[in-house]
Amino acid sequence: MKGIHDLGGSPGGPIEKSQHEIEDWERLADAVTIVLDKKGVKTTDEHRRAIESLDPDLYGRLGYYERWIAATETLLVEKGILTREEIDARTRELGESWGEG
Amino acid sequence: MSETHHTHDGVKPGRESGRYARRIRAIEALLVEKGVLTNEDVRSQIEYMEARSPANGARLVARAWVDPEFKARLLSDTKAAARELGIDASGPVEFVVVENTPSVHNLIVCTLCSCYPRAILGRPPDWYKSFNYRSRAVKEPRAVMREFGFEPPENVEVLVHDSTADMRYMVLPMRPPGTQEMGEEELAELVTRDSLIGVSVPRRAGS
Amino acid sequence: MTPRFEPGDRVRVLPEDKQGHVRTPGYIRGKTGRVESVLGEFRNPETLAYGDSGLPERPLYKVSFRQADLWEGYPGPADDELCADIYEHWLEPTPEETA
Repeated sequence: MKGIHDLGGSPGGPIEKSQHEIEDWERLADAVTIVLDKKGVKTTDEHRRAIESLDPDLYGRLGYYERWIAATETLLVEKGILTREEIDARTRELGESWGEG
Repeated sequence: MSETHHTHDGVKPGRESGRYARRIRAIEALLVEKGVLTNEDVRSQIEYMEARSPANGARLVARAWVDPEFKARLLSDTKAAARELGIDASGPVEFVVVENTPSVHNLIVCTLCSCYPRAILGRPPDWYKSFNYRSRAVKEPRAVMREFGFEPPENVEVLVHDSTADMRYMVLPMRPPGTQEMGEEELAELVTRDSLIGVSVPRRAGS
Repeated sequence: MTPRFEPGDRVRVLPEDKQGHVRTPGYIRGKTGRVESVLGEFRNPETLAYGDSGLPERPLYKVSFRQADLWEGYPGPADDELCADIYEHWLEPTPEETA
């Protein structure tokens, strides 16, 4: 069975040519991923593998950098650098401090 | 993921993007606190990416059009050729420039993810990363190019490159006719990002 | 590691259904193509992806395929081709074609 990411030759529709303005959090996701790579904390191969391991439904629903963030988190937790609990806690704190709940 | 036409391009931020935005900020803050990386590392990397754009590719192409020896160097050692023009594309990734000719038109895709010559051209356009482009560029390249308003003649071979491994590809398009009097800077303005990927060709002189 | 194949060789991509992180797309598995060039030697992404060193490095080849061989009813000219970059362990020689 093909991996969810192995799209060559799959059915597809017209190509959406619009370009969305990249948001700061996407720039951040891009940069953090690459910095972790440059520092040898993780490899591009691990990053791709983590993306490919996402729940297929999630893979199909998420945006590009959302997949990157999910993959980066997976790897950081896998390598024991961060825990999900502390990421959850800090995310909540950031949400609360901006009144986003 | 079901094998049907995608209603979402697979690239644009979704409805839960706010949650992901907070999450990456949390991750960054924690990584800084634990000494895994610094704010300066991140800032510097953002700056590195912002400094890269298709204009780099356009300059390489324009120089190759006017200087056959540079063109040979661009084709045989892309990183070194880029360095000659002040473009720092150093790093573990290898670059390959593929040349369009009157008999071959090249098209670049990464079906498995979104590999792209980022160190030269910056971030790829959304459409290059989309599910539909990744699915269809290998199977029906001419139909895909038609959607970008370009149709190579039937007697021109279309050659698709799927960037499956360590090489990143960029197209060296053919120089448009009627441009003999143009200088390098003017020529570079004809070279579009889309022509460096191969879904179309450079602008015509006077367009 | 001496490359097993050289430009001009006809090769078949193994028709395997391998699990894990693989950089050989499904649409070329089991297909026959031609080695265009030897791209160098690189570490194995299949094991790098799980934190392994990826060693030993192995040859990577640029392999071309006729689009008509890849897709049934390919809607383009017979000369259209596709190239993919394939690691040596995914390639095998094709049997000698009989006249």
